[in-house]
Amino acid sequence: MRQVVSWASGACVGFVRACAVTVVSMLVPAVWAAAVAWGIWWGAANPWSWVGPLVLVCVGTLALSRPVCRTVRHLVAKWTATTVPAGYRQAAPVTQLSTGYWWNGRSYERTRRDALLDQRTRNRWRDPATWRDLRFTAIVPFTAGVVAAVPPAGIAVAVLGLGRPDLAPRLAGVLGLVVAIASAPYAWRPVEPVAVRFLRPSPAMLLAGRVDELTAQRADTTVAQAAEIRRIERDLHDGAQARLVGLGLSLATAEKLMETDPERARALLREARAGATASLTELRELVRGINPPVLNERGLVDAVRAFALDSPLETTVDADVRGPLDPPVEAALYFGIAELAANAAKHAHATRARISLTQDDTGLAVEVEDDGRGGAAMRPGGGLEGLRRRLAVFDGTVEITSPDGGPTRVRMMVPCASS
Amino acid sequence: MRVLVAEDLYLLRDGMVRLIEAYGHEVVATAATGPETLDALLKWRPDVSVVDVRMPPDQSDEGLRAALAARAEVPGLPVLILSQHVEQLYARELLADGAGGIGYFLKESVFDGGQFVDALERVAGGGTAMDPAVIAKLLAGGSATRRLGGLTEREHAVLALMAEGLSNQAIGRRLFLSDSAISKYTTSMFGKLGITDDEAGNRRVLAVLAYLNNP
Repeated sequence: MRQVVSWASGACVGFVRACAVTVVSMLVPAVWAAAVAWGIWWGAANPWSWVGPLVLVCVGTLALSRPVCRTVRHLVAKWTATTVPAGYRQAAPVTQLSTGYWWNGRSYERTRRDALLDQRTRNRWRDPATWRDLRFTAIVPFTAGVVAAVPPAGIAVAVLGLGRPDLAPRLAGVLGLVVAIASAPYAWRPVEPVAVRFLRPSPAMLLAGRVDELTAQRADTTVAQAAEIRRIERDLHDGAQARLVGLGLSLATAEKLMETDPERARALLREARAGATASLTELRELVRGINPPVLNERGLVDAVRAFALDSPLETTVDADVRGPLDPPVEAALYFGIAELAANAAKHAHATRARISLTQDDTGLAVEVEDDGRGGAAMRPGGGLEGLRRRLAVFDGTVEITSPDGGPTRVRMMVPCASS
Repeated sequence: MRVLVAEDLYLLRDGMVRLIEAYGHEVVATAATGPETLDALLKWRPDVSVVDVRMPPDQSDEGLRAALAARAEVPGLPVLILSQHVEQLYARELLADGAGGIGYFLKESVFDGGQFVDALERVAGGGTAMDPAVIAKLLAGGSATRRLGGLTEREHAVLALMAEGLSNQAIGRRLFLSDSAISKYTTSMFGKLGITDDEAGNRRVLAVLAYLNNP
């Protein structure tokens, strides 16, 4: 009984979906049919009778192709969880220049309206996605549309046939009903493979998108590196370098005073020694900021263990890492972990943290979990966003689960060849 | 005292040799790489050796590993490790065997020749010598503070100085306390850390280990 109910509900849902697919995919052919009907009504002898329908076909197809494709994408995503990326070209911002003219990324225009209009038509004609949409609207009625039309057509035949008194139409009506019910759960399904095959951005467009992404990453990395070098230069200049100059001066003075005032010379030497210690401490801090020494000496796992020992949080570390990793990846992950632990202590008020590193054939996964109050999220310009961008350079990803009230769990994933 | 100096930077190695000889000790050998250090340690069996953590050929923790390998072969071989930076992880690894005769100092400690040679002598005698910076870092570390929650502030201070390797008299002088007061503190401290009187090992080393070891 339950099976029958579930099958019936499946059939109902399938029928509704098939109807939706039929309506969407047959919209453009309906316009074509209307144009043909219009032409016939005007009469084939009148030469003007061809112009009106032709204009209707062109304008109708162009105007409907994008909404039809958008609806198909939406329906496919909703029903099958398969996302078909749209891949339309993004319009460049329209800006007014100092000359008063407007620049839309391609051409100068006298007014903003002209610039936008030019940009829109240009995008419409130049965007390969537009042509792909047109192709899809031409293909879909004859593939997914035809199949999806079977259940509604069967029901239509049944309604018409069963109302007649004769036997033959009644038989046809029964047959239509059987076909409609049997095909209802499956008839809408071809829309997914057709959409995936014909509506997906081409490899060239995916590549173009990837190039944009990489360009942005390169810009990020370059800026971050330049800032880091400036910081190191400034720290060296203001700190250690200045101290060493002072040290040299103290020693020179002590050398001069050695004979005449040994007591003051000794005091100066003591001062010089303290200065040398202080500059060493400063240099050590600086080096640690660039790359923690244990990371250089022992690699990521021991560096994380050493970090856990120093951390104010009660931190446990589980590690299952086989191969050696590339130093830049190690450094990015190490500083990522350090940042997450600092967040846990500072923002989430956590007392415990668990860090686990696991490596499998696809890559290295690092998970940092704390017992804090949660509510962490990726905000533009925030620390987690910065972490995501730093890992993106290595095609790495960051996932955050942090419900209000905690616990926060952050998973960093970096692909790497297994050794 | 027969000393071995293992350090890859010529200037620092030469400086240390001169400093040690200025205090009237004999430098029997020097080494500049990890493997050389291990060979020299096993060949000369010096009364004490000074070993840099980071050495060629890998510029990783070669010196530390040579020292640990030599101590695995010759238990209790006195080694004073010199490092550019404080690492709890390394200090733990050195103290893990509980045999004593271990020191862990920051490189700038050699600036104070007297203190440095004093530490060398303590290590040669089988004691521990920890740089105050190392101890400060160990005591500041989150896990250590929690484990030592049972100690009073004064006992904490005594333990820190003990870990540096100071004797009871020296600790008393530093804290302006009498010898009997110090021994009272150490007894109660050993009790709280679960170290009994009849423990065969070096109680001072064990006390340091008590907060280094995981709970």
